[in-house]
Amino acid sequence: MGQYTAVNLPFEHNNTGSVMVPPSIKLTDVSLQYNDFTALNNVSFEVNAGQTMALLGHNGAGKSSLIKVILGLISPTVGKAEVMGQSAYTNHQQNCVDIGYLPEDVSFYDKLSGREVLSYFGALKGVNQARIESLIEEFGLGYAQHRQLKTYSKGMKQRLGVAQAILSEPKILLLDEPTVGLDPQASQFLYGKINQLKQSGCAVVISTHELSLVEAHLDIALIMAKGQRRALGSCSELSKASALKITIGFSELSERVKTNAYLQQFYDQGLLQFSAMHKADIIKHLVTQCQIFDFEIKQPRLEDIYHDLMGQSLRSPAEQS
Amino acid sequence: MYINKLTSPILIIAYKEICDSSRNRWLAFMGSMFLLLSLSVSFAGSAVTGSLYLPEIDALMSSLSTISVFIIPLAAILLSYDAFVGEDESGTLLLLLSYPLTRMQILFGKLLGHMTVMLLATGVAFGITAVLLLLLGEHYHKADLISAFVQFLVSSNLLALTFILISYIVSLKSTEKAKAIGGLLLVWFLFVLIYDLILLTILVSDFSFANQYVINALIAMSPTDLYRAINLVAIDGNSASGSLTMLASSDWGLASMYALLFAWIGTLTAISHRIFKHKPL
Repeated sequence: MGQYTAVNLPFEHNNTGSVMVPPSIKLTDVSLQYNDFTALNNVSFEVNAGQTMALLGHNGAGKSSLIKVILGLISPTVGKAEVMGQSAYTNHQQNCVDIGYLPEDVSFYDKLSGREVLSYFGALKGVNQARIESLIEEFGLGYAQHRQLKTYSKGMKQRLGVAQAILSEPKILLLDEPTVGLDPQASQFLYGKINQLKQSGCAVVISTHELSLVEAHLDIALIMAKGQRRALGSCSELSKASALKITIGFSELSERVKTNAYLQQFYDQGLLQFSAMHKADIIKHLVTQCQIFDFEIKQPRLEDIYHDLMGQSLRSPAEQS
Repeated sequence: MYINKLTSPILIIAYKEICDSSRNRWLAFMGSMFLLLSLSVSFAGSAVTGSLYLPEIDALMSSLSTISVFIIPLAAILLSYDAFVGEDESGTLLLLLSYPLTRMQILFGKLLGHMTVMLLATGVAFGITAVLLLLLGEHYHKADLISAFVQFLVSSNLLALTFILISYIVSLKSTEKAKAIGGLLLVWFLFVLIYDLILLTILVSDFSFANQYVINALIAMSPTDLYRAINLVAIDGNSASGSLTMLASSDWGLASMYALLFAWIGTLTAISHRIFKHKPL
């Protein structure tokens, strides 16, 4: 009689029998304690394949610790960190092949050339030379590939860093401050590459302070404060969670609003200002009751939401209430 | 670059370390220093006696090891002081750890690379000296000269290995490159100068506690003194002068002394690995 071995597969089957792919990254109630210091406190979130998550927060908020937990370099004190359905810490060696990582402000090896750096890291991941050649061309480093890194500009080094991170065509990409010190063109180039990866099914986590840059490219944002999850969701979900108002303005607004009691309650300082929950009703009133079709809606920007939420988190509970 | 042909992570990391040492001119600089040192000692060492002649093998090896005991540890420290703290400062240590590598592979890769660099620098320098001595010194017995140089080369590289590992420990414990080099120069100063001086003082003094066991233990406790003792025992200690001859009086054989040096290397490797394994990131 054959012997069967129980294997823990990372995939689950739903009721219809189809395979459910586990989230690329899943953290469940993760806490991380260093002696008396709490680096992470009860953090949970999921990032699925093809999603981009922005990791936001002040310095010391726990972003880097969170990345190290995902990389499997640190075991959470409490909770579970999973990568592709497997424990991030105990399966660190296997997971590493599927994870691309760009640390913050990495300076690589100044004496080596760009090609040598990529060849070195490529060899460590078993990547063939053809892939390295194509990345050198793709990232526009061909003309400088034989030059030592000490002659590279910040933008070139950062492009090399991202090329290094995607050497093995990773399923998960972790980028720590990828656009710091880059000019707008170089930042745009990097986000273009990130979007390409995302479309190919790569889950991307970007830790950044440059909110205006990341806003257009994220699916969800995780805002951290003092090791805790302050907020998680898409920009519109975060907007709802914040106290910030959506505004609508158009010419002769005051005249038109006078005739509508419902709209009048939102009229303030020449604009309609309201929270996200009233958005649909207000637009309906404007279109059907006031016959206004030409108006400008201003959603709160990620930067405003971030400052609002962080302001709330920094205020005492008494102040918040 | 041939790195893509390598499949073992240890060999890949070692290759990169060799490239680094070659690019930053360490290999060329230290190789030239060793060559200059060995040529001066071999061909101009007799000038202090008022005449120029090629020394006997024993005297030559004694002189070379006396100078090398200072230079080899210093070279090893300069080669490897930033092995970990340098990578930590530049962010590449964290990056390496995000690759499918064990910490032991990183440690052994670096060790193999640095050891190869040291072997190349000393091998070329002392090798050229040995060849020139063979060509110019008609009175030398070829086999004796070659075996003396091989013994000297092996013991010098084992001494270098102990100091490379000491550098790793300090590098792993340091938060800045400047602190690492400062700490290592202090270690060098204590091992090479102070401890050596204390040991020689005990040897020439008539302390009641300084019996053979104590002297053996004191020699075993310092890799530099083990190196001195190995090279003195290898040449029978006859050509050493003054208090140095007493180091050769240890009743251990050459094999035991090499075993002790290997014990140092094994212990330091285990300590380095333990520190690296528990290094907070």
